[in-house]
Amino acid sequence: MQNKKLKWKSDFEKSVIIENFVNRGWTKSQDKEEDSSDWNVYWATVWNVRNIFNPKSGFRLNDQQIINHFPNHYELTRKDCMVKNLKRFKREQDKETYEQQGWNFDFLPTTYVFPGEYSLFVEEFHRCPNQTWIVKPAARSQGKGIFLLRKIQQLKKIAGTTVTSNMTQLNLASKENYVVSKYIDNPLLIGGKKFDLRMYVLVTNYKPLKVWIYNKGFGRFCNEQYTTDVAEIENMFVHLTNVAIQQYSDKYSQKHGGKYSIDALKFYVESAYGTEAFQKMMDDIHNIMLTSLKSVQAVIQNDKHCFEMYGYDILLDANLKPWLIEINASPSLTTTTPVDKNLKLNLINDVYNIVLPNDDFPDNEQKQQQITKVGGFSVLYDESLDLMNRKAQKRQSVKIWK
Amino acid sequence: MQQLDNQEILMKLKSQKQFWDIKKKIKQGFSDQQKIGINDIQKFAQSCEIEDQLIKLISHILKKSKKRETLKEDQIEFLNTSKIKWTELLFKNLDIVHQKAKNQEEDDTNTDSKLYIYDEKNLLAFLQTFKQQQPSVLYQNVQFQSNKLLNINIPLKSAQQILDKYQYILLQEELPEEKINKIRKQIENEHLDTELEKIAQTYVPNGERCLLYLKYFEFDHQETVLQQNFAKLQKECSNQLFFDELLEIDGHEISEDTFYFVFQEQILTCLKCFIRDKTIKENIRIQLQNGMKKEHAEFQLPVTGFFPFKNISKYVAPLCYLSTKIHIIYALFKEFFCRYFCFLHAISSEYNSILSLCMQIEEIVSTRSPKLFHHLKVIGCDTLKLIIHQLIYCFVGDMDPPHILTIYDQIIGHDSLEILVILCVGFLNKYKPKLLLAKNYENVQQIFQELREDKFQELVQFAYKQ
Repeated sequence: MQNKKLKWKSDFEKSVIIENFVNRGWTKSQDKEEDSSDWNVYWATVWNVRNIFNPKSGFRLNDQQIINHFPNHYELTRKDCMVKNLKRFKREQDKETYEQQGWNFDFLPTTYVFPGEYSLFVEEFHRCPNQTWIVKPAARSQGKGIFLLRKIQQLKKIAGTTVTSNMTQLNLASKENYVVSKYIDNPLLIGGKKFDLRMYVLVTNYKPLKVWIYNKGFGRFCNEQYTTDVAEIENMFVHLTNVAIQQYSDKYSQKHGGKYSIDALKFYVESAYGTEAFQKMMDDIHNIMLTSLKSVQAVIQNDKHCFEMYGYDILLDANLKPWLIEINASPSLTTTTPVDKNLKLNLINDVYNIVLPNDDFPDNEQKQQQITKVGGFSVLYDESLDLMNRKAQKRQSVKIWK
Repeated sequence: MQQLDNQEILMKLKSQKQFWDIKKKIKQGFSDQQKIGINDIQKFAQSCEIEDQLIKLISHILKKSKKRETLKEDQIEFLNTSKIKWTELLFKNLDIVHQKAKNQEEDDTNTDSKLYIYDEKNLLAFLQTFKQQQPSVLYQNVQFQSNKLLNINIPLKSAQQILDKYQYILLQEELPEEKINKIRKQIENEHLDTELEKIAQTYVPNGERCLLYLKYFEFDHQETVLQQNFAKLQKECSNQLFFDELLEIDGHEISEDTFYFVFQEQILTCLKCFIRDKTIKENIRIQLQNGMKKEHAEFQLPVTGFFPFKNISKYVAPLCYLSTKIHIIYALFKEFFCRYFCFLHAISSEYNSILSLCMQIEEIVSTRSPKLFHHLKVIGCDTLKLIIHQLIYCFVGDMDPPHILTIYDQIIGHDSLEILVILCVGFLNKYKPKLLLAKNYENVQQIFQELREDKFQELVQFAYKQ
């Protein structure tokens, strides 16, 4: 396969993808058919990936093809599935063993999935009358359909009819599920403004789990000063950090796009809060990533043709505790500033340097090589090392026994 | 200068934690003995370096007790006259700016954003005019060399002296975790400014930088006082001043910076408090402007004794990384400005002044990179014109915040702005190959418009390359 020009296909007309492919000397697949198989590298939408892996499609990927999603990625990236899997995983774990490993589950705000858990939600809602909740469609993105809730009656927005607190079930107007979470109303503020973090994680294999974390990312800032004033509860420029929303603010700047580099944020936290606090924050963020991935390890269809680059959205509260907001299967590759373009261009470049080292499909030997750093990516977790260690220990103990 | 008597020295010693640590050590050294003479104590103190520690502590107290007078008069008379002329020029600029601001209020379509009293180019242009003065008694000690932009007979260190002083930075390696932890403990326990300076020269862990700065400026036990003072200033901000408008416009550039936009409101608040702070005039090390009161002038100098200038926001911005508390950020900014940055805007022969720093840079570049120096002159882009922005604003906007704060560490470490000379020389050497190919000023501007990443250590290394 070496020295052979790979053929690429992309469902996205994004310069950071196309420039990467072109710079590698790869050629564009000329087959115009959506379901064509004349490609080696495909940056696909989640829907096309689902079609490709649908047994009815009759499509079978060959050894010279690689695609950017796992077949049932939604187990992690749909908000309702993510919550379901994390709750299930937590129930399954032995608390002591997990805590001994230094991991915890305390990063997901109390969340209910509608319509199924509506009655549970109502119970909790009444228990915490001063609590603000955030309502999100399970499968949408870019902040669409999200609103803050303080009164049950506000659910009329999604029910289509009047909703009262003594109702035991909720019939939604549309067929989509919603997730309702306790709103983190004490976010960490910088310059008085709320922000969240976008961080990138690459999974090249689920069984065994291999996770890479990218060293660049950014904080997405709101344009308005944060307030818990009830009068501003519907002001999305105060509460929702999505760039898709903030770009419509009068105060939006084309120059920085409200994006604050993660390096700057790390430096700020370390300088203003101290090294220990910073280190704990990073450890907690890594815990979120690993725990969430582990929670779907058993359910994700691990296919050798697949890899996936996730966009993790994480919110820090005023105590520097990170909370998981959501995980994106197709994090935006739109670039809003030159710095943003540079970041995403290098990100995609590094992804392909990992999944196709030297522009070639790695054999088993190459896959087992213990490379821990490629470009901006570092290995966060490699389960195969654990397995190897356990095998070595077993061999060792057998030796000793003999 | 105020002299302390022995009783006063003892009182001040008793207020220092280190004094009690020393006393405890001596007591422990003689715990078994019943009769202790002065000679015994002296011998013991000499044997375990307590005597040295005590001497340092007393010197520190004596040094701190001297109230540093603000430098008003320069040893070179024509610089005093020049300062007056500069101030007059600024008053005229203020009138123009005020008129522009009025016009903008009346006409929304007029978006002339040049609402500032002066910038670094104006200052450099003014310094250049010294060369054009007619020979007179006042300029007897002035020697003008035709190839340099500025050359006035003021005391200067030799290029080699400066280069030798900072050469140790080239040898600095990444420190192991053990050593970093040791430095952390040192910062926690140390109080003497000489010791803190040594740490600042070597390495300052990010998490302890704020503490080091607060200790160095003796603010570490004064948070309540700082908070109260800042609160008072904030209250005064409710009375609007014309200069507030200029500060808001100045903040616009910082608000577009990817590293500082998040601190925009804090920066503006700090600056508004700054121009209302009456204590600055007595604390500042050097008088920036000689405030001639104009007759019928609508505006006078702010209570600080000087006009705010373009990009003043840049001096506050990096300090926003050090604390979540605005009164701490303000206190650090005020101290840095009064001790160091004021010299970058003062017409003076002092070694830290903009004049001296500029001349040092020209000297080093003309002798160590004569080809570059000459080429830039030929294409109408003098060395100083190229570097003046980075020099005056300490590379804020050119380097990432961690590197800027490393510069601030070195400034404290040597109680001097000389590190800026090294960095400016390094900056020019780094871009020398591209600059030598430039055919005109526009080419030069293009070189610096490209996305670039200048780093502290890298520029220091370039400074020593020829």
